[in-house]
Amino acid sequence: MDTDLWANIQPGEELLAARGITKRFANGVLANDHVDFDIRAQEVHALLGENGAGKTTLMNILFGYLQPDEGQIYLRGRPVRFNSPQDALRHGIGMVHQYRKLVPAHTVLENIILGHPKARGVINERRAAEEIAALAESYGFRIDLKAYVWQLTEGERQVVEIIKALYRGAHILIMDEPTSALTPTETEQLLQAIERMTSSNLGVVPFITHKLPVVLRISHRVSILRRGRIVATLKTAETNERELARLLVGRDVIFDVKKPPQEPGEPVLELQNVSALSDKGTPALRDVSFTLREGQILGIAGVLGNGQHELAEVIAGLRPVESGRILFRGQDITRAPVLERWRMGIGYTPAERTEVGSIPDFSLVENVALNHFWDRQYVRSGFLDYGRLRSLTRNILDEFKVVAAGPEARGKTLSGGNLQKVIMGRVLARKPRLLVANLPAQGLDIGAIEFVQQQLLAARSQGTAIILISEDLDEILMLSDIIAPMYEGQIMALLKAEEADRETVGTLIAGGQVRRSAG
Amino acid sequence: MKVGSRRIGFVRRDTISGWQAFLISTVSVIVGLIVFSLVFVVSDVSPLTAYREIFGYAFLSPSGFRLVLNRFIFLALCTFAFLIPYRAGLWNIGMTGQVYMGGLAAYGVVYLLGGKTNPNLEVSAWLVLPAMIAAAAAAGALWAAIAGFLKDRWDVNEIVVTMMLNFVGSFIVSHMTKEGGPFMNRGGGSEGFPLPTSLRAPVFADIPFTALFVAVLAVALHLLFTRSSLGFQIRAFGMSPRAAQYAGIRTHRMGLLVFLLGGAIAGLAAYHQFAAVPGVYKIPRDYEIVGDTAFFGIICGLIAQGNALASLPVALLFAAASIGGRAAQGKLHLAFGLDFALMGVLMIVLVGFQFLYRYRLAFRAVGVETPPAGAEAAAEARGRGSEA
Repeated sequence: MDTDLWANIQPGEELLAARGITKRFANGVLANDHVDFDIRAQEVHALLGENGAGKTTLMNILFGYLQPDEGQIYLRGRPVRFNSPQDALRHGIGMVHQYRKLVPAHTVLENIILGHPKARGVINERRAAEEIAALAESYGFRIDLKAYVWQLTEGERQVVEIIKALYRGAHILIMDEPTSALTPTETEQLLQAIERMTSSNLGVVPFITHKLPVVLRISHRVSILRRGRIVATLKTAETNERELARLLVGRDVIFDVKKPPQEPGEPVLELQNVSALSDKGTPALRDVSFTLREGQILGIAGVLGNGQHELAEVIAGLRPVESGRILFRGQDITRAPVLERWRMGIGYTPAERTEVGSIPDFSLVENVALNHFWDRQYVRSGFLDYGRLRSLTRNILDEFKVVAAGPEARGKTLSGGNLQKVIMGRVLARKPRLLVANLPAQGLDIGAIEFVQQQLLAARSQGTAIILISEDLDEILMLSDIIAPMYEGQIMALLKAEEADRETVGTLIAGGQVRRSAG
Repeated sequence: MKVGSRRIGFVRRDTISGWQAFLISTVSVIVGLIVFSLVFVVSDVSPLTAYREIFGYAFLSPSGFRLVLNRFIFLALCTFAFLIPYRAGLWNIGMTGQVYMGGLAAYGVVYLLGGKTNPNLEVSAWLVLPAMIAAAAAAGALWAAIAGFLKDRWDVNEIVVTMMLNFVGSFIVSHMTKEGGPFMNRGGGSEGFPLPTSLRAPVFADIPFTALFVAVLAVALHLLFTRSSLGFQIRAFGMSPRAAQYAGIRTHRMGLLVFLLGGAIAGLAAYHQFAAVPGVYKIPRDYEIVGDTAFFGIICGLIAQGNALASLPVALLFAAASIGGRAAQGKLHLAFGLDFALMGVLMIVLVGFQFLYRYRLAFRAVGVETPPAGAEAAAEARGRGSEA
């Protein structure tokens, strides 16, 4: 370890610089193309990039998990090479993973000491505890070292990760999607902690997919990575959300999708006092009733865990109905099996895209076949017509602008946004009369969100009735014809889009009083 | 490992082509044979001599090759019986019991026709042979279906059920063929009664017609899993039961379906072994050796990665190793159990080499590494998972 490497740091001095970093993977993907990136003392330099832009690769290179094909990393002007994450850490580069790599059954203290280079053989726990407590306090972190990790919230776990990295001597903290799993309060606390850390001589590099407000709030500079290249490095004070979004996606992003007015048609789906249980067997859906017509979007608003998921599954046939009735175009489907519902024209895009919506080890053709293996168009006397399925898959990849190696690529090689496009395209190819879209835009990057929303509106204009489940109030307000705020398994009101506003819906999803309702 | 300025290491691979898999398997067999030659060295036998004995007997001597072929048919069918549930993500460890039940059912047909007391029974083989085959398949299927049903209905672990049913099956065979059981040979000997000559399965050029089962099933299973809608549904269920349920696949019947199919094929294996192999034509007193051999279907299926066509050479190799090993053991005065030891070592090495199906050797300049293909996407996908 170069102890003197970090002596006498001047504020604003360049701590780490990556110059001309190029990384090409065995499958030919150019993940990083001559990337220049640096981080200065007392600075937060955010790296913004959509899924698949090459962020993860750059991050992996910076903390030694990958080695670049070309390019050089400099630490305070000296060329260095990291052969492993341990090596990078020895050079003062700490990584705070999005997936907390902590042992839940151990205490905070044990987790911080675990694997520390000094902690070979006998560990002086008390001394370590004192050191760690002092360190935490100097950055204003409050954490109970004796608590077990499983007792901690996401935000507290992240603090443990940060202290762990600092205790190992990190001078530069790389943070992967630092706010993605945090509540708003925790996010605020984290941002304050980062401010405190940078006021000492640390440099912080958060990697962020799409939370532009966080970038604007937290960083001093921001670099935007697109298709493996840094397209801009800006002073945060001199930019704004719209510019960042444009750089990120490569074109202007319409934050307001226009929803053309449209007369609703015949009733498609009718729920009559439907109740259902959660996986734990507790009541999850209570007496839900509504009618949805052709060409209408019903937006289910609410904080996750208030019965939205069960509602989607009940309609898709994946969860039994305890009481009540479901009618689809006048026909009782309360107990109809899943396949019959698909045949009738009910389509479902699940929120769990890799566990339910797709099979990671299947090719894209096979993943597309999941919604067509029973359809006469694609089956000839018991045999799947792979030729037709392949051309259907190609169409979906083209039409939905999916970035994939081709129809034979495995599902697991796609980024989340591209996978969602395949799932949507596959279901929409059935031209469903009813589409249940469960969190369709959740976790996607800006370009993909916009695309998915446009697809929903396109389906609406063709007369598809749509149930849109989302946690994003703006999305619900923008797309829905009727808004149904859900709270504790109940639909609190059915609001016409023109009557609904953020405040009303926000009150209702928090269990506030119902003012009025409409059909 | 470093070699000069280069580093040799293992890199995860995303796909594997057919010839790569073939190459890996071939190399692993050679390595297995080299490892096992230690046994010969300590016994003061030249490994070359020993292997010439083993494979010479297995493939070059007519009598040896006949035995190999018979065992190959049995092993291949047991492998298929394992494969079908395996592709649905379920483990059939019970080919042994299914074989026992199949054998008893085939002889049950003969018993009902009076074949136990009348070795010169005059019946139409055209009618009775299909009945014996159907009975064997049905019995194997129903025996296996117990596990499938329990799995579907109450999610009872199919490994435990099939395994335990092996013991029950063994007990039933023993009860039926020994100690005055209804199927006991009247001449004593604690074995099943012999098959009337008129009911012996046809043999063409020393090959029992049951070889056709293997040929037809190998092609049929290959088509099932690569082309058919049903095979697609089985595979989808095997990869992800939740995704299969979402897609409308009848997941609540899947266990029953695959165990019925697998068990039926185990029943065919039983018919072959007890009623079609020349020189056997009965349920022998040491029927448990047959049951033990059925277990090798698991290994063949795993080595072939669930691919019916690829399992054929593996089954042939194990058939040759066991038959040739037994012969060499007698001829070279080696320790008893050589055949099973050889199969065991081959198996361990083959399974060990499975690692190479998922990883490949790579030479690179020191310090440069390649991540798994799709690592980026996977990492990003995980990223979104936590946000959702």
